[in-house]
Amino acid sequence: MSAARHDRSTIGGRRRWPGAGLLLVLYPAAWRRRYGDELDALILDMAAGDGTAPWRVRADLIGSAARLRLLGDGDPGRRIRGGASLVLWAWAVFVLAGAVVAKTSEHWQQALPRHGVGDAQAAFDALTVAAIVCAVLVAAGIAVALPAAARFLRDGGWWLVRARALIAVALTAAVVPALVAIGFWAHGLTDAQRNGHDALYGAAVVSWAALGAACLLAWTAVATRIARELRCRRGVLTTQALIAAVVAIAMAAMTVAMLVWWVIVAQRDPAPSGGSIAAYLSALVPQLAFAAVLMVVATAIAALGAVRADAALTEL
Amino acid sequence: MSPNRVRANDPTLLILTSLAAGDKHGYALLQDIERFAGVTLGPGTLYGAISRLEQRGLIEPAGEAGRRRPYRLTTSGAETLAETLEELRAIAEEGDRRLARRDAPSATTPAGARAVGRAALGPAASGGAA
Repeated sequence: MSAARHDRSTIGGRRRWPGAGLLLVLYPAAWRRRYGDELDALILDMAAGDGTAPWRVRADLIGSAARLRLLGDGDPGRRIRGGASLVLWAWAVFVLAGAVVAKTSEHWQQALPRHGVGDAQAAFDALTVAAIVCAVLVAAGIAVALPAAARFLRDGGWWLVRARALIAVALTAAVVPALVAIGFWAHGLTDAQRNGHDALYGAAVVSWAALGAACLLAWTAVATRIARELRCRRGVLTTQALIAAVVAIAMAAMTVAMLVWWVIVAQRDPAPSGGSIAAYLSALVPQLAFAAVLMVVATAIAALGAVRADAALTEL
Repeated sequence: MSPNRVRANDPTLLILTSLAAGDKHGYALLQDIERFAGVTLGPGTLYGAISRLEQRGLIEPAGEAGRRRPYRLTTSGAETLAETLEELRAIAEEGDRRLARRDAPSATTPAGARAVGRAALGPAASGGAA
């Protein structure tokens, strides 16, 4: 390569505006590899007398890069599958958060006065119903892609996902017997021991939960790797884009319902002296705070995936 | 709806129209579009549209990879442009027809009916002999 080719400070003998490089970094790497040099030259052509790009040009470059980052680029089918995969990842993270909420909130009704349960129960029921609806929709989204996935695996795709699938199978093989063992162990313990007074049992449960989370994420990785390669019919893509949007909306609703439930329970805390579950919930419980953050992050990821999929749907 | 369809206010239509007159690189496209449409596209908007058009097979590079690579219309791009212009022409003609009907006197009111009758009978009906 010639030395001139390495010199990024000039283009065709004209001095390059240094800010162009910073703005181009905002674009996706693959897009930048294809169009970056041409866009760089165009920025120089549009530069003001002092060689800098006008503010209008900078704003346009930032807006265009944001659009590409948000909506993706390329084949609409691939973008829909990518958006749906993002929603699937978000759902996996959301399930982990939901498991934390479910564990933290066990028997919470018993700790509130009878008249104080109503609103909180409504919020909790909304959370539960939305979770079931979401689970069914996610399963439906996977089911409609199964024929294409089977074709892909038969046609040699198995070798592409083999490593991930073997990891997922190994984790599943560890999770199931571990669950059975913990179940037997729990039968021999008192309520107090099961609820934090047996450090060894507690550590085992936390370890099993971590293994379960790894297992869920491993299967999600397998599913999204397969989804990247699928050739789906228009009807399947349309269904997946619509499911992605509904799941993202339901996840937002569940996040709101969980926060509302938490606020109501905290307000009606009947036992400031502590000792009840409600008092426990009324504080900024680390587990619930962690779950709430996970839910918000997952909802944001799902929203991004749904927007991507639905924007691509118009170009299908 | 065709996946290759473009809309009237879309930069992609402006680019296709510009390339219908010959191959151009980015800066030449911007100048040409500003000249015939009075629209100043930003560089990010232009290349965002160029990448979409190229991926849909409506335009293609016309020369070697480089910093000022020209683009040209493909056969599919020319067909898409023709279809889009035909659709726009149909909408424009329909708009003209509706505006003409709106501006014309209506026969549904007495005054309108008289005016329509006079128009139908010519100058003699209005007593306007030359």
